Amino acid sequence: MNYKKLILLLTCGLVSFVFSGEYHVNKSKSNLVKFISDAPLEDFEGITDKIDGYIYWEGENMLSQSQVYFEVDLNSLDTGIGLRNRHMRDNYLETDKYPLTHFKGQLTTAAQSPDNTYTVSAQGVMFIHGIEKEIMVGATLSPVDDGFRIQSEFIAALTDYNIEVPQLMFFKIDENMQLKLDFYVKRYDKNE
Amino acid sequence: MNRNFKTTFLLFHKPMTVAITFFFLLLSFSADLSGQEIKWKRDEPLTQPELQLFHSPHVVDLPTATTLKKWDLEFEISHRFVPTLGSGIEELYGFDGPVNMRLALGLALSDRLLVTIGRSNVSDNMDLWAKYKFIQFRHEHWPLLAAVKVGIGWNSQPQYQVIADRSSTDSHNFQFFGQLIVNTLLNKKLGIGVVPSYLYNSDIRFSDRTKDTFRLGVYSQYYVSPLWSVYMEWNPYISGYNLLVEQEYNSFSYGIELETGGHFFKVFLTNNKFLNSSQSLAGADIAVKDNDWRIGFMITRLLRFSR
Repeated sequence: MNYKKLILLLTCGLVSFVFSGEYHVNKSKSNLVKFISDAPLEDFEGITDKIDGYIYWEGENMLSQSQVYFEVDLNSLDTGIGLRNRHMRDNYLETDKYPLTHFKGQLTTAAQSPDNTYTVSAQGVMFIHGIEKEIMVGATLSPVDDGFRIQSEFIAALTDYNIEVPQLMFFKIDENMQLKLDFYVKRYDKNE
Repeated sequence: MNRNFKTTFLLFHKPMTVAITFFFLLLSFSADLSGQEIKWKRDEPLTQPELQLFHSPHVVDLPTATTLKKWDLEFEISHRFVPTLGSGIEELYGFDGPVNMRLALGLALSDRLLVTIGRSNVSDNMDLWAKYKFIQFRHEHWPLLAAVKVGIGWNSQPQYQVIADRSSTDSHNFQFFGQLIVNTLLNKKLGIGVVPSYLYNSDIRFSDRTKDTFRLGVYSQYYVSPLWSVYMEWNPYISGYNLLVEQEYNSFSYGIELETGGHFFKVFLTNNKFLNSSQSLAGADIAVKDNDWRIGFMITRLLRFSR
């Protein structure tokens, strides 16, 4: 056996490990998570920038050994009025017991468009209000200087997560909560 | 020694050994980036929301330690129907009026500081007060909040014949008050509050000397559901001046509250026809033992012009 070739082969193989990517939420950017609900009297939306987590894959193939984990600090959700924030925290999300919601899964498809944007889908478990539910979500990853901008929209049915939907007038909200995420991740640098 | 060195050199000189050694060196170098060792960790503490116990900043005449979110506005309209339930159907149990009414607008300058200005029609009273929450004690069973409320009431047109010729800005038309508010909420359902209160210049009719009154207000509110609650409030006299004509009794009120995402609707029965802090602290005009009540309500709307 040609040992020089063996050394070269091993080295090349390891280079792909060296370039494996772990990207963390870039908190210095303007991240946005938005919960939108249609209600008879007035629609309302809860927003926060308190999203954290990571996305990881090995080598240049996004689907290779990929991992996705993102969490949102629910106590930081702001609907605009303090009393409504409290209702959301205390009566529906029960944030004293479940302060975080998270999605954990892996990338299942990834397609690169001519403008270098990736359209991906991820399958995994969504955790809200103590309930875990298997879901599939789509997202776009747009390259930015040091990572990606991630944008995603999907619907969460409150009853799927054992959240009581108020039916009385003045309180009534839509069972389906629309979630919009627009945030940034940057490549993990162990020196930071 | 020389032999050992030679052995080691020969060992590394063998290409296969070099390749394996190089492999493990690189592996250890890149191990921290392998998929099995995610480096992410939450590096910020989770948000701790401001502790609030009672849902509304007020019960009836007494304040709770609850404050509003910074820059939230609170608009209030309150009525006390002067004729009592005892007036019967002829006065439609008080709804025919006349009414004492108050309009107020509060602004949260911080999550703990609420400033409110109000106007009520009895003696054309203007009131300005500030409430500051200074203790938050988080506990699973015995959470505790403490706040202070201080304010001034200006009776710009006193409705007393004996001082009809007094200037509206006479210093004796001004009243000052201070309240310590201590609240707890048991099982997230039963709110209990104690409010020691001090009123300076309780009886504005006297221009020769001022009067002051101490009261020890107590109240409780039970949250039946996220929507409904019931409450009672009692503000007994402790010491000081207590001879104000038509206000010589302890104030007592009880009622129901409807709560929505931005409103509180309170309807209650009370023996006190006054509805701003300084006037109501002076006393009620009907004795509880007379069992004659008047209807009152308070509607508050929380507003915000921008996030």
